[in-house]
Amino acid sequence: MYGWIWRHLPGNVWVRAAISVVLVLAVVLVLFQYVFPWAEPLLPFGDVTVDNGAGAAR
Amino acid sequence: MAATTDHDESTGAPAQPVRRRPSRRRGRIAATVGFIGELLITMGLVLGLFVAYSLWWTNVLADRDASRRGDSIRNAWADEGPGELDTGKGIGFLHVPAMDEGEVLVTKGTGTKNLNAGVAGYYTKPFKSAMPWDAKGNFTLAAHRDGHGAKFHNIHQVHPGDAVVFETRDTWYVYKVFAELPQTSKFDVGVLKDVPEGSGRKKRGRYLTLTTCTPVYTSDYRYIVWAELERTEKVDADRTPPKELRHG
Repeated sequence: MYGWIWRHLPGNVWVRAAISVVLVLAVVLVLFQYVFPWAEPLLPFGDVTVDNGAGAAR
Repeated sequence: MAATTDHDESTGAPAQPVRRRPSRRRGRIAATVGFIGELLITMGLVLGLFVAYSLWWTNVLADRDASRRGDSIRNAWADEGPGELDTGKGIGFLHVPAMDEGEVLVTKGTGTKNLNAGVAGYYTKPFKSAMPWDAKGNFTLAAHRDGHGAKFHNIHQVHPGDAVVFETRDTWYVYKVFAELPQTSKFDVGVLKDVPEGSGRKKRGRYLTLTTCTPVYTSDYRYIVWAELERTEKVDADRTPPKELRHG
């Protein structure tokens, strides 16, 4: 997978490395900005309230 | 790739058509295994990033947000001096010296969106929280144990006898912790009642209840701390904190 991406990037080694870094940062940004905020409430790690099961914490 | 090349060289050209087929199949298997391996590594990295996100990044965002809101309230208070209570942006700040978290902004509601902003929220359901200035009742608060400011992270350091101070625009409400419940069911709403169930108190009084999740990093159970109002102090012009907040 990563090998395939690497082979399909244009330019020489340095250009490819630079593009790779940008791609990795873009992926991290998407994860932090969109994926994790979406996933977090679905996981049972942050419920701090007591409620009668009606999901008051949600 | 390297293995295939070596193989071809060692067997020589004539053997190639015969030898090629199994080696190509093996190459395909190797590629598949490699692909799955890369997927697993990627998943591991993503999970690691998620941990960093929940335990670090959400704190950064929430602390920034909460301190901005806290500052704006403090500025409003400073501009007009001690006076009438303003419940618009938040009702005040909670200080728990034993928790060592500094001041925690208190706002209305315990919904995810509110608590994720790095504040402590007072309950509106299942029971409506009393306010500290009410003659009798239970002032009930919730905040995150981890992530999103983690304002009640150190709740396990709070023990009976410790001071909990709630600061409004014109009054310091000094509470003293009298009971803790290190683990209870998340359905145990009795802890929020005016006479909190499990606290040992039988009569109505001016109570304060802190709730968060436990064990740390999970939310299987709830951790409860109860305090009772000891005295109130008027806020002076310099906002001199009560003695409970002065040492350390």
